[in-house]
Amino acid sequence: MTHGTHDGAPAADIGRPSLGARIRRSVTRGWAWLVAFLRYSRTGMIGVIIVTLFALMAIFAPLLAPYSPTRVFPEHILEAPSAMFPFGTDINGMDILSRVIHGARIDLTIAGAAVVISLTIGLVLGLVSGYVRGWFDLLLLRTMDVLQAIPVLILALAVVAASGQSLTIVILVIAFVDIPIYTRLVRAQTLSIRESAYVESARAVGNPPVRLLAKHILPNAFPPVIIQTSVRFAWAVKITAGLAFVGVGIQVPTPEWGAMIRVGAGQIISGVWWPSVFPGLAILIFAFGLNLLADGLQDHLDPESRS
Amino acid sequence: MTDAVLEVEDLHTHIRGPAGTATALNGVAFDVNAHEIVGLIGETGAGKSLTAMSILGLVQPPIEVVAGRAVFDGRDLTTLGFDELRQIRGMQIGLIVQNPRGALDPMRPVGKQLADVYRVHQGGSRSSARERATEMLRSVGIPDAERRYNAYSYELSGGMAQRVMIAMAMINEPTLLIADEPTTGLDVTVQAQILDLIKARVAEVGSSVLLITHDLGVVAHYCDRVIVMFAGRVVEEATIPQLFDDPQHPYTQALVASLPDRSQQDEVAPASGLPPDLFNLPDGCHYAYRCPHATESCRTPVPMVDFDGGQRALCHFPHR
Repeated sequence: MTHGTHDGAPAADIGRPSLGARIRRSVTRGWAWLVAFLRYSRTGMIGVIIVTLFALMAIFAPLLAPYSPTRVFPEHILEAPSAMFPFGTDINGMDILSRVIHGARIDLTIAGAAVVISLTIGLVLGLVSGYVRGWFDLLLLRTMDVLQAIPVLILALAVVAASGQSLTIVILVIAFVDIPIYTRLVRAQTLSIRESAYVESARAVGNPPVRLLAKHILPNAFPPVIIQTSVRFAWAVKITAGLAFVGVGIQVPTPEWGAMIRVGAGQIISGVWWPSVFPGLAILIFAFGLNLLADGLQDHLDPESRS
Repeated sequence: MTDAVLEVEDLHTHIRGPAGTATALNGVAFDVNAHEIVGLIGETGAGKSLTAMSILGLVQPPIEVVAGRAVFDGRDLTTLGFDELRQIRGMQIGLIVQNPRGALDPMRPVGKQLADVYRVHQGGSRSSARERATEMLRSVGIPDAERRYNAYSYELSGGMAQRVMIAMAMINEPTLLIADEPTTGLDVTVQAQILDLIKARVAEVGSSVLLITHDLGVVAHYCDRVIVMFAGRVVEEATIPQLFDDPQHPYTQALVASLPDRSQQDEVAPASGLPPDLFNLPDGCHYAYRCPHATESCRTPVPMVDFDGGQRALCHFPHR
């Protein structure tokens, strides 16, 4: 009968810390992790900077942009970059800089929402199918095979074209085609982790399956998923822009990078390069940043390398 | 009269593979009595760990328990459903495995893993589980237990990690502790500390222990009784004095003879020979092919011969 009685002093420390203290602790811990990561990986650092800048750009777009993205300057149609319009104006006389800045909002929102949805669904499906195996796993895998056998862009095109031009549809379609990627990745991780000694021993002390999945398998399966998420985010931005570029999905005058390229493409042979090049650069740099981030994370995310 | 905590009867476990079926356990039978430390020894592949896994229902296809009973607390563990088994594991039967660092989740603080085991079985608040876990860490001799609660397994030494595993196995004060080669991979000095610790914790709680090892020295020091396994069968059961002074089975005799004797300068006599092919076991005695006393009649089914003082041996010609 040693437990139940305690000798006064440590009891207060042992109890659950307050919510505020725990939030503070996880923020401190997260910050320390980020600093370690940035120190460790030069590529990762550049990636973080690029992605952060784009995120800030999206958040503070109305403050950063010199004009409204849909304001028309009738006397300044297709004007080359100047002090007044640093990125020039497009065929509708709208300021391209303002539109590129606001475009970050649209593209990052679509891609972000799509990634979150497909990640969530993929995680659950992958965990369950890797853990229970059997017929569920088989059925799911074959379904994923079928999904992946269809060319993504064509599928997305068909669905978006058929179901109208709403933002929600674009998000859902992109999320949908990405589900197999996460499912397979998480499933493969789960398959190997469920056989590991620590899961075996967690099972041997009577942890129920849900707990095994949530507390042991998921956290250990997560690092490669984070890396993949970074890559898929870049891909989602590209496909958002790609859909708009071929004319389905987001339409002008909504400031969306792909749609801007599409509008600008008509004039590029006549030497008017700025309407399409600037949004193109935005996509390029953002995707590049995410890929650098993924690369840095890949090197860094390993439980043994944390200190 | 029996005060057996665990009664294993005629346990058969098979491993199915493309090359055929391996008869890994072939009628294992033994008891573990209350407050007793029973050693389970045998060479690699004899089925020691598999016996433990089969008892706890932790074997998964292609490994399968095909026959036999493991009666614990009045219930046959081999017939229990998943949830009933789960409630016994970690609660009434604790398990300590070899390679403790591998057995701890690298992404979850060890204290939390400890608290999990308490809370999964006993419920209660997080803070009480945390308190209990910290107290357990302290009781297994981990200094600065409050801080170590948040440590990760890779931050611990092998000995520390094994202490955490002991804390985990004992946190719910189980009736039976199964320790599967708990000191493999540890320094000799740490081995002694770990085994002493297990013995002390167990004595305090009053648990019985099934100690799986291949070290006769460990058996001699820590066990009350010993079960010798060979090729998936129990070939001898004896108390410690019986084992060392009067081994009955030729395999046990070879094991005991293989111990270096300090009083004599002779060379050690290793228990020679390879484990048998489990896919293709001979009829009769499995040990006959290595036995110096084997005759033709060893090909017929072997009897379990009882001796005075509870000693038993699976042999046609014990004590030759």
